[in-house]
Amino acid sequence: MAAPLTLLLIVAVTIRAALFRSTFAYWIAERVEVVSPLTAWKRVVEGLALLDLGVSPYAGDVFHETPLIIYLFHFLVDYAEITFILADIIVAVAFYYVVKDYNKQVFRKQKFALEADRYPADCHELVRTPKEMYYIPLKAALFYLLNPFSVLSCVAKSTCCLNNAVVSLFILATVKGNMLLSAIFLALATYQSLYPLTLCVGALLYLMQRQFIPVNAYRLSFWWFVAQYAFMYLGSLLVMVALSFFLLGSWDFLPSVYGFILSVPDLTPNVGLFWYFFAEMFEHFRLFFLCVFQINVFVYTVPLAIKLKEHPVFLIFMQLAIISIFKSYPTVGDIALYMAFLPVWILRNVFLVSCVLLMCSALFPVLWHLWINAGSANANFYFAITLVFNIAQMLLVSDYFYAFLRREHHLVHGLYPKKKDGSEATLVLK
Amino acid sequence: SIGLAMNSAEQFFNSGHTNNWAILACTSRFWFNYRHVANTLSVYRSVKRLGIPDSQIVLMLADDMACNHRNPKPATVFSHKNMELNVYGDDVEVDYRGYEVSVENFLRVLTGRLPPSTPRSKRLLSDDRSNILIYLTGHGGNGFLKFQDFEEISNIELADAFEQMWQKRRYNELLFIIDTCQGASMYERLYSPNIMALASSQIGEDSLSHQPDLAIGVHLMDRYTFYMLEFLEDIHPASKTNMNDLFKVCPKSQCVSTPGRRTDLFQRDPGSVLITDFFGSVRKVEITVETINLTDSESGELQNESRSYVDQLPVSEIIHQKPKQKDWHPPDGFILGLWTLILLVFFKTYGMKHLKHIL
Repeated sequence: MAAPLTLLLIVAVTIRAALFRSTFAYWIAERVEVVSPLTAWKRVVEGLALLDLGVSPYAGDVFHETPLIIYLFHFLVDYAEITFILADIIVAVAFYYVVKDYNKQVFRKQKFALEADRYPADCHELVRTPKEMYYIPLKAALFYLLNPFSVLSCVAKSTCCLNNAVVSLFILATVKGNMLLSAIFLALATYQSLYPLTLCVGALLYLMQRQFIPVNAYRLSFWWFVAQYAFMYLGSLLVMVALSFFLLGSWDFLPSVYGFILSVPDLTPNVGLFWYFFAEMFEHFRLFFLCVFQINVFVYTVPLAIKLKEHPVFLIFMQLAIISIFKSYPTVGDIALYMAFLPVWILRNVFLVSCVLLMCSALFPVLWHLWINAGSANANFYFAITLVFNIAQMLLVSDYFYAFLRREHHLVHGLYPKKKDGSEATLVLK
Repeated sequence: SIGLAMNSAEQFFNSGHTNNWAILACTSRFWFNYRHVANTLSVYRSVKRLGIPDSQIVLMLADDMACNHRNPKPATVFSHKNMELNVYGDDVEVDYRGYEVSVENFLRVLTGRLPPSTPRSKRLLSDDRSNILIYLTGHGGNGFLKFQDFEEISNIELADAFEQMWQKRRYNELLFIIDTCQGASMYERLYSPNIMALASSQIGEDSLSHQPDLAIGVHLMDRYTFYMLEFLEDIHPASKTNMNDLFKVCPKSQCVSTPGRRTDLFQRDPGSVLITDFFGSVRKVEITVETINLTDSESGELQNESRSYVDQLPVSEIIHQKPKQKDWHPPDGFILGLWTLILLVFFKTYGMKHLKHIL
């Protein structure tokens, strides 16, 4: 599989390099769907320039990146394009290995289940064979690299690519079973943008199952594992925050980065849902709705964990999708990250969802132009298309979830369930 | 002799001011406020006729009456009935026009706090030896003057602006004339020295317009400015008419409103203040055959500063200041700490057996 992967990487690098050299690069870097106030390259350059002038980059509302990004780009600002292409390559290769390893786990489980004869008789078409799953890792890498969203995000030099790289490395470390690296990369991902914190549940579940520790709240080994992981995670997070303090000698990155993510002061339109609501919110209720919206990202963790405790990798995928949809400043780069996992499991309404997503993506620049440049539309038009886009994503995610659950259900209860009197029953999602 | 020459040289500089400026602002727009533009243009005409050059007049007209589509006589603005006097001649230079006439711009002109890109014609480049005439007309009320139909300037803002001018030494003496309803309220709050103020009406009174012209269809002038224009038409650059005569312009019988004035902040007696001290730009020229040495030094070497034009503006301090280009570097401790940690994690993950291959 090395050869097709290499070919894919070459093609992806060529596309990105070609777009970097074209005239689109400047236009793409300005699009609000691709860059957000947190990830814009323009702001990184501005922050570095401020630093050269002797001013803290966090003075003023321009720069919202973490100090480690300052350190990275202080040396790499001339090679930024290569850095971002490399980040995309890291994501693709990491996903390749993740999916390969995950497939191995799936086959092992299936083998045990088949040997133990736990599948009902009519389920054989649902069982995965290595033959059909052979190209899935390549497909996952392909879905990420050739996804127009990730290409746009890379060409815009949005630091979302770097965040994606860290998250993908975290998933790779988790799937490979390495607790320390998983904790470190999760701490790095949380340090970059707060939301990957919810991925810790999936990681914990996966690592525990891999080490055959029973996921039982009454067992000491469970708590000991959780304590170990939490210690490693918190330790690395603390180390990173301390290092960031020593880089600039001040704590003002904390309100600028985390305060900014949590309190959403910048209401530039983007593909998310926050800006429109908060633009028209009364000051009186702002804190309340801020809490509601932020909790919305985190609240699905526990129910999903309870439902999906046998399938932690799928849980991680679901969490990624929820973070990408509900975070405070989403961009299409975040969407590209979870879309890379789509070929791994099955989906029901492919045509509908893909059509809606395509149409929305095409309409975004159109309605933006109508609103801002031509002046004949207003914010409602753009928000409408944002809303439709997010609904399409939610439809995608919930359909995916439903398909997954249904497949699991069929694997347990048989493909053609029969009612008590022997006639055919239909499955209804309650 | 030299002593006499020096004496006359001192007298030369004794009148107090060396240059004259005028800021004439009409603050209302729309065709039916024709008279305000005509007011301002008549004062402009007098001031220019008496010698103040266009470079020292800041003329602000909020609307264009001469080329307004409702003007039956385009390119003219008349101040007398029967079109006797066209105050919009060939050489009217309007510095702030249309929506540029705003409270912000007016205050910026007064205080001099304009962006560096503002051209000279839009600036009040006065110094501490300038006598400034400020003429405002438009619609006003008790304590405010309306600009452009959507904003207003209050008498307190105006008083503060004049105080800023005083503190920055932007005037020697100031004559403030306002022709609006309840105009006296605008000079009520002034507190800076050397200001004399005239208004067309007291608080509670309306300033009335003079006469409509049936051909043009609007009132052409306001009464106070109309009579002031008639008074100024008799002034020529050498006349010795003083302020007391200006105070007598437009009594209640003619103006219906009572003109007001404020002279308590002014240090000289109004009777000794010539009209041309404010309305004209009179240069005293005395021919002398004596040579007067103005420099002290015997070397006589003129300071040969090749100062460019831009060096004399306040912006020169900004553009000549180059920030010291110190490149920022991350602290060494940070780099050390970061890479030590990365190495530690690497070896922890991949085992210490690799270490012996390196060491």
